[in-house]
Amino acid sequence: MSGIMFRKTLRDLRRRLPQFAAITVTVLAGVLLFVAGYDSYRNLSSSYDRTYERLRFADLTADGGSPDRSADAVRGAPGVAAVTTRTQADRPLRIGGDKLIGRVAGLPAGAQPAVNRVEVASGRGLSPSAPDGVLVEKHAADTFGLSPGDRLRAFDGTRWRSLTVRGVAVSPEYLWPARDRQEVLADPHSFAVLFAPEATARALAGPDAAAQTLARMTDRARGGGAEREAAAALRKAGAAHVTERAEQASNATLHEDLKGFEQLALGFPVLFLAAAGVAAYVLITRLVLAERKVIATFLAAGAPRDKVVRHYLGHGLLAGTAGGVLGVLLGMLATSGMTHAYTAALKIPDTVVTTRPPVLLAGLLFGVAVGLLSGLAPALAASRAAPAEAMRGDGGRLRPPGPWSRAVGRARALPLTGRLALRELTRSRRRTLATMTGTVLALVVVLASVGMLTSMRSMMNVQFDDVQRQDATVTAGPAAGDLTARLRATPRVADVERVTKAQVTVSSRGRSYATSLGGYERGTAMHGFRADGGGDARLPAHGVLAGKALADRLRVSVGDTVTVHAPDGRTARTRLAGLLDEPLGTAVYSTRDTARTLTGAAGNAYELRFAPGTGEAERDRARARISGVDGVVAYADTQALRHQFDELLSLFWVFVGAMLALGAVLALTVVYVTMTVNVAERTSELATLRAAGVSLRRIDALLAVENLTATLLAIPLGLAAGWAAASVSLRSFNSDMFTLDLDLGPTTLLAASAAMLAASLLSQLPAIRVVRSLDIARVVRERAQ
Amino acid sequence: MTRTATARGDVRLRGVTRTYGTGEAALTALDDVDLDLAPGELTVVLGPSGSGKTTLLNVIGGIESADSGCVRVAGQELTAHPPRELVGFRRERIGFVFQFFNLVPTLTARENVEVMIELTGRGDRRRVPELLDAVGLGDRADHFPAQLSGGQQQRVSLARSLSTDPDLLLADEPTGALDQTTGKAVLTLLQETNRQGRGVLMVTHNASIAAIAHRVVTMRDGRVHSVERNAAPAEAHSVGW
Repeated sequence: MSGIMFRKTLRDLRRRLPQFAAITVTVLAGVLLFVAGYDSYRNLSSSYDRTYERLRFADLTADGGSPDRSADAVRGAPGVAAVTTRTQADRPLRIGGDKLIGRVAGLPAGAQPAVNRVEVASGRGLSPSAPDGVLVEKHAADTFGLSPGDRLRAFDGTRWRSLTVRGVAVSPEYLWPARDRQEVLADPHSFAVLFAPEATARALAGPDAAAQTLARMTDRARGGGAEREAAAALRKAGAAHVTERAEQASNATLHEDLKGFEQLALGFPVLFLAAAGVAAYVLITRLVLAERKVIATFLAAGAPRDKVVRHYLGHGLLAGTAGGVLGVLLGMLATSGMTHAYTAALKIPDTVVTTRPPVLLAGLLFGVAVGLLSGLAPALAASRAAPAEAMRGDGGRLRPPGPWSRAVGRARALPLTGRLALRELTRSRRRTLATMTGTVLALVVVLASVGMLTSMRSMMNVQFDDVQRQDATVTAGPAAGDLTARLRATPRVADVERVTKAQVTVSSRGRSYATSLGGYERGTAMHGFRADGGGDARLPAHGVLAGKALADRLRVSVGDTVTVHAPDGRTARTRLAGLLDEPLGTAVYSTRDTARTLTGAAGNAYELRFAPGTGEAERDRARARISGVDGVVAYADTQALRHQFDELLSLFWVFVGAMLALGAVLALTVVYVTMTVNVAERTSELATLRAAGVSLRRIDALLAVENLTATLLAIPLGLAAGWAAASVSLRSFNSDMFTLDLDLGPTTLLAASAAMLAASLLSQLPAIRVVRSLDIARVVRERAQ
Repeated sequence: MTRTATARGDVRLRGVTRTYGTGEAALTALDDVDLDLAPGELTVVLGPSGSGKTTLLNVIGGIESADSGCVRVAGQELTAHPPRELVGFRRERIGFVFQFFNLVPTLTARENVEVMIELTGRGDRRRVPELLDAVGLGDRADHFPAQLSGGQQQRVSLARSLSTDPDLLLADEPTGALDQTTGKAVLTLLQETNRQGRGVLMVTHNASIAAIAHRVVTMRDGRVHSVERNAAPAEAHSVGW
């Protein structure tokens, strides 16, 4: 851009500083969100990877079969870097007054394993000289307040054995403390992981010991054909189920979270940049219209059209570049903060903060591109101005009214102000469409954010009101006998049912899926079975029901036969009698009789409900009392999980609040720019009205009616677009671990619509101020010249 | 496009027709117009509204094409060339002055002149102070249009059009938005410009202005109604209306 024209561009920007500043801020918000979101997303991924690399996280985890045979099958195979075996079992634990199901995993005493190492965060590592010394996984240590020297007890199937905490460990398997893919969200007091010397783990596991073979691939072989061959070799060697790294519960949960980050990093910036583009388009178009005769003069004098195009592109380019540069700078600062905050909240041991020039460059280019694209249409329009226009005066170019204007004109029942405002809608379709686009984009931001929150809340309501109807689950030892009566005698316990719980692997035609089996009475009041496709399902007398994701995982249909592998190695075939729609996890259900046939386990747990109105203190007392009952080895409070989830959601409100604020900024920017342009384009008309004695209130009302009508017209479109965006966004989270259905109630939709109208009213205040401060004499004199 | 002469500002039109619209809505703005203007003449085109004056100016200036006929201006053949192909011709040969000045409000008087040199690549920026002095605005060079009177703005517009040293200056109602005093000042400048050898073609509905012209063309209904030569053009400052 050359000297004088560049000076003109700068002065044009200065003349319309508030509008261009609003556009720059919106570009800034979009670029900031992109840079901070995308870099944080990549940083988190890198942080996980660094921990995985440092602690040699397994690529394949094989359960069942002979560990030695499985290990031999892959040791030395192409792409396999290391192989190790270990014992793992879920065992009842007593930590303080809590009884829970813990997981004991074996480690070489005095050395790190080749795969799935642990990092001792405090205390000492395992020692051959201390067979009862264990490491407690960090999340459990934090939950139960355990530190080196503390004691806890583990049930080995026959008796409680005392163990000593030697240290607190971070494990790549439990960066997110998920027991399995069915319970990625659990009552933190109902699960803990211990790392014990291999011999101790084997002794604690007893007959329930699950042998595991862990394989780690070379970096080059990871995720490729060699890994698939290694997994196949493990299955061939007798492994009942092979879990790939991507499927591992903790890693999969973290990656679901990353997916959300990725959406935030890509989806929301697009909305902001689009809004900035629309606002810039309106503003630059206005500028071109205002300077049309000057442009025609230049063209008449032989100025090349490309110079005119470049000049008007410059306005958008400067605003976009300024927003881009500021967005990149602030994004760099925010990236580090966001990454550190996130890894700290998730207790990820490694935090990798990398500045990625391509991301910064992309952010900057987004800003530049928004400026260029938004300025392109008006710039081209400017270059197409007929030089002959320079000869014409302002008058004499009245267009005949269109059908809308004629229809409004006939609606004599409407007050004149209303008719005038409604006619304005089609007088500048560009402006009306811009206002509508701003409203639609803002509603998409708002509904996509709020929809996530309301849908998650709805998901939890369905899970804990319709599906898991029990208030607590009690696990009993094998020799406990029937505890139903004793549990029912506990104060505030209203109902108790004996159930069967087992970890199983379901397979079909070479595919397998590790999950949990729940055995209930056919008319159980503790669990609701929501049939896939609607309605309630009933436990079949024979066969099993399963979460609908199982059908995709195993490529089976209702009526097919599947094989169930029990922890003790037995296998049984059964019919898939139906599919269920459950928000959390993909579990398998049967009657207790069927569960006994499939796994050999019978009535090893109880689900209970408290009387209505039972308070938290009474529940805690009940928990303590039941934990003290002989034969009870674990107690999990469903409400505690719900409470934990509510806390998580309250944190999520911060995100939603930020998005609502940004959505408001977005709507305000677009409507503010269109309204000020509206007033600028109609300065003489409004000044004439004022000169004729029309009251300011009437003129304010005129602008308000016009603006609110455009907003109202856009609201149904915005609601539909917001609904669609929220729905697509949520669907991307759906997996065998979560099923999120969009839930946007009428209250939410009404509130969002009201917010848009309020934003619309608010954003026209500056324009109204301009009208109030119009120098009528000056405007009329200028036009007369 | 061929250039065969070096004379400043000669015009030759033969059978030029220009029609807007089609069918019943068709409006013939120029109807078989023949016109010859000698180089270095000051010509005034008179006529009522809708007589085709401005269209004539546009066709001569190469910003509108004739539907038929031949147009030759400042030694260049314009016939059959659409306006977009005449950018170079306009840049090198033609200067425009408009009734409504069409100045850039965010540029000073000096910058409004300089911008034309910058955009067209013609002219010398060092001459801008001289041009502004010539139109009597040397002391207003750093004023923005809003700080100038209508007459001053029109003088800036004149300096701007002269900055590219055109052969022919086309002025569309240059005094139409001005009072008599400032209008006469602008006419004086146009006359001075003409006396420097540059052709000037001025469209106006003000018959009094015709007194300063070498040649007066009267148009009616798209046709040249009369062409009169003025043997002794009056001084611009002496005319009144």
